[in-house]
Amino acid sequence: MISKEEKFPVAKRYNVADIQVSREATAVKPAVVANLIKKASNPVLITGGTLLKDPKLVEIAVKFYEKGIPVIATGGSSKPLIERGVKPLFKTFTLHQITQFLLDEDFKINGKKVDLAVFLGFLPYYLSRMLSALKHFSEIKTIAIDEFYHPHASFSFTNLTKDRELYYSMLEELITKL
Amino acid sequence: MFELRKGIFLDELRNISVRIGEIVEEEEWEEAGPTPKPGIIDLREWDHKLLERYEPFYAPVQDFCNLCTMGPCDLSFNKKGACGIDLRAAKARLVTIACCIGASAHTAHARHLVDHLIEEFGEDLRIDLGGDVNVEAPVIRTVVGIKPKTLGDLKKALEWAEKEIVKVLHSTHIGNEESIIDYESKAMHVSMADHVGMEVADIAQIVAFGFPKAKPDTDLVPTGFGIVDVKKPVIVVVGHNVMYSRPIIDYLEKEGRLDEFEIAGLCCTAHDMTRYNSKAKIFGPISYQLRVIRAGLPDVLVSDEQCIRADLVDACSKMGIPLIATSDAAVRGLLNVSDWEVKDIVEALVSGKLKGVFLPIPEKVGVVAPLVAKAIFEKSKDKKYKFFPSDEELKAEISKCTQCMSCVFTCPHNLRIDQGMALAQKTGDLSKLAVLEEHCLACGKCEQVCPKGIRIVNVIMRSNFEKLYNKTGKTRVGRGPIQDTEIRKVGQPIVFGQIPGVIAAVGCINFPDEMKSIVEILEEFLRRRYIVVTSGCHAMDIGMIKDEEGKTLYEKYPGNFDAGCIVNVGSCVSNAHIAGAAIKIANIFAMRPLRGNYAEIADYILNRVGAVGFSWGPYSHKAASIATGFNRLGVPVVVGPHGMKYRRAYIGKPWKREKWWVYDIKSGQKVFIEPAPDSLLVAVETKEEAIVQLARLCIRPNDTAMGRQIKLTHYIELSKKYYGDLPDDWHLYVRSEADLPLRMREELLRILEEQHGWKIDWDKKKILEGPIRGYDAGFNPTIVEKVFAKYRR
Ligand code: SF4
Ligand code: SF4
Repeated sequence: MISKEEKFPVAKRYNVADIQVSREATAVKPAVVANLIKKASNPVLITGGTLLKDPKLVEIAVKFYEKGIPVIATGGSSKPLIERGVKPLFKTFTLHQITQFLLDEDFKINGKKVDLAVFLGFLPYYLSRMLSALKHFSEIKTIAIDEFYHPHASFSFTNLTKDRELYYSMLEELITKL
Repeated sequence: MFELRKGIFLDELRNISVRIGEIVEEEEWEEAGPTPKPGIIDLREWDHKLLERYEPFYAPVQDFCNLCTMGPCDLSFNKKGACGIDLRAAKARLVTIACCIGASAHTAHARHLVDHLIEEFGEDLRIDLGGDVNVEAPVIRTVVGIKPKTLGDLKKALEWAEKEIVKVLHSTHIGNEESIIDYESKAMHVSMADHVGMEVADIAQIVAFGFPKAKPDTDLVPTGFGIVDVKKPVIVVVGHNVMYSRPIIDYLEKEGRLDEFEIAGLCCTAHDMTRYNSKAKIFGPISYQLRVIRAGLPDVLVSDEQCIRADLVDACSKMGIPLIATSDAAVRGLLNVSDWEVKDIVEALVSGKLKGVFLPIPEKVGVVAPLVAKAIFEKSKDKKYKFFPSDEELKAEISKCTQCMSCVFTCPHNLRIDQGMALAQKTGDLSKLAVLEEHCLACGKCEQVCPKGIRIVNVIMRSNFEKLYNKTGKTRVGRGPIQDTEIRKVGQPIVFGQIPGVIAAVGCINFPDEMKSIVEILEEFLRRRYIVVTSGCHAMDIGMIKDEEGKTLYEKYPGNFDAGCIVNVGSCVSNAHIAGAAIKIANIFAMRPLRGNYAEIADYILNRVGAVGFSWGPYSHKAASIATGFNRLGVPVVVGPHGMKYRRAYIGKPWKREKWWVYDIKSGQKVFIEPAPDSLLVAVETKEEAIVQLARLCIRPNDTAMGRQIKLTHYIELSKKYYGDLPDDWHLYVRSEADLPLRMREELLRILEEQHGWKIDWDKKKILEGPIRGYDAGFNPTIVEKVFAKYRR
């Protein structure tokens, strides 16, 4: 969790009007994300279309894969990942479809239900709706590690839009602690 | 209208049903199907079939409901509210309401038109859509079960639609429906009514206003921001109902002064003005409203209804632009001057005594608008195409920015206005602000939150002025329906799959990407000889984007309904012709009867017609009902990422084998099939994803081996190109080796053997074991028991 003393930016929503009442994501530091992933029994990393524009995110996703976290690539993000040797579990389905699958009790990855989904590289408004679906209709824990604070996730990086270097360094820190 | 003659014989009354107070002609044009004028539950069985496969998916925007006074209620984690509704059903209700709004918009538009046109032309004005269209009104035939011949007949279809919209809206009252499936069925029902409303509206305006009748090579009209001659008074019309502004052209033509003015439109009224007279021009979609107004382009602005900004009075008055509101849908707090003399209205507007007027009399609008435009133009001649009076003022505006980022977190696209401002402040370089223009919706939200009151929209537009000005091209005027002869030519190749698909790019401008992305996506399909159909805002955006040779898609590809061609049907209401084309394939090519036979036709389309709707930037309620109406008709729709905010999708689970089956009329068996198509409504994030999804959703169970081979070839090629590899699911669509792309056959057989465990006879290069089902040339699929029983007989 992020304490005020550490001078992280405030957890300002990616869109001030994306409001909700019930539960707001806990803003977390990389170490907490790493722990959550390590404790999960069947985590996945889901990547989105921003990877086509930001090579740094590709690099991070590759490192996730190398640490043994299976990758589901959406939005065409499979292309740079495959070029870097990643074999995504899925590449054809949209995040919309993948979320629909995740909501289904019968949907298994490596024979098990997914208990933690980490999201990287999405248009914030697109991801927000999917996080909302998963929040309301499933037991799956969700972590958003984009540069935006995502209120509908279970856990989210705080808002890092202002400071890209800080964001990248947090992603790096997450990888080292995995 | 049929009239009872004296001495009529009973025999002659065979085809007439007599109700008290009304004599209804029911000419035996076709055997009546099971569901003419369907009520809410008449097609419920069909909807349940669809929704069993394509399961509704909900993505709430808010966790609570505050529609009634027992609330607000926290419905998070699918809790129930005070009325008993849970979160899913609450969202299903919300989508149903959105579809009701969409359906009402088109149907009220149709009502305005039909009543007005009947007054002007009489009930008996014949519906004639040209020699090549004999199956006119396919949607009305199929849904309502009548064959309208006159304007008066259209009223009957309209009455049915209005009745159903009210009934569905009723169901959204607190305490009614609790099943999401039944709510979705209602959303589908009202959206089907929407398609009827659209068809009524467009047929009425085509026949009464003399719009092009299914003509492929209509004129090309200038489109974009930089289209008007600043030496002429500019009349700008905005909205979706051309009935109010059409007389402007009549008046100016009568006066012989049409060439002295510029008449340009925003949104669908622009399309319909050009359909009326191709001297009219198109500025662009809703995102161009503030661009055009802030640039001082209109000398008068005439608004009608639907996707128009709700702050037009404010926006126009700040620029000294008189506003004439015409439709009762948007009176805008303005004085109703219907009874005033023309000269008094003109005087009040030109002098500035009134910022705007409400004038719902089209003929008066026709005279007032040009007179006002001329007078305003004379008063201030060089105000056009200026977002700031000087570069100093632009610089001063930019210098106010403190990089607080309030704008960024309010912008629908989180555009980095702060960074653009910072660079401009430091170096004077406007380039980072300029690129924002390509994405900016000109919604103005950023300005609402900027603590420094910066006119951000103007800053962005000014920064990219040259490019914005030159983002102009040509749109092919909306042609209306598809000809029967065209359907005769392409019906078979579409149903067999040799034409790999029909991509219908329809809807608004809430794009996730630069405007040119819509063209990049569609050109991929045009080059591959899909049929591309378009309408509304998508159609005008296409008309702005030019290639290196300065040509738009309309200039590069013909306007026929044929492989490798692009058809602009026209405005929003013209979308009915796209649904109509799918229906006509079932009717003209496959001889399936239409009359009140909706489920059979939709089932035919779902299993055979590889058409996919595509709305890259949907935002309106109308887009919700148009898409849902297509879904009920068996046409899948792909939406851009903002489409998520409709909250609901229909997404199948291809890995659940038991969900994917049909009855084969030929063999009499229930057959498990490939999941084609596997979603009815799905949102994509990127243009790459849009392209691949569109290609995969064109696959249909009925494809012949040749057709499947062609569709798979495109799907695989596009997946390799954009996703870097074969699709995850390509093998599901393989029924025999003949389905495999020729050039890759061996490689794919090997993958089937090695990765999927299929048995291959390598001598004969044949698949022995593995596919979900084998290929049978006589395969005749349906998911409707009654259709199965009917054709098994
Ligand atoms: S006007 Fe443009 S920059 Fe401002 S909030 Fe709207 S889309 Fe964003
Ligand atoms: S809200 Fe205004 S002051 Fe703040 S960053 Fe945006 S433009 Fe600058």
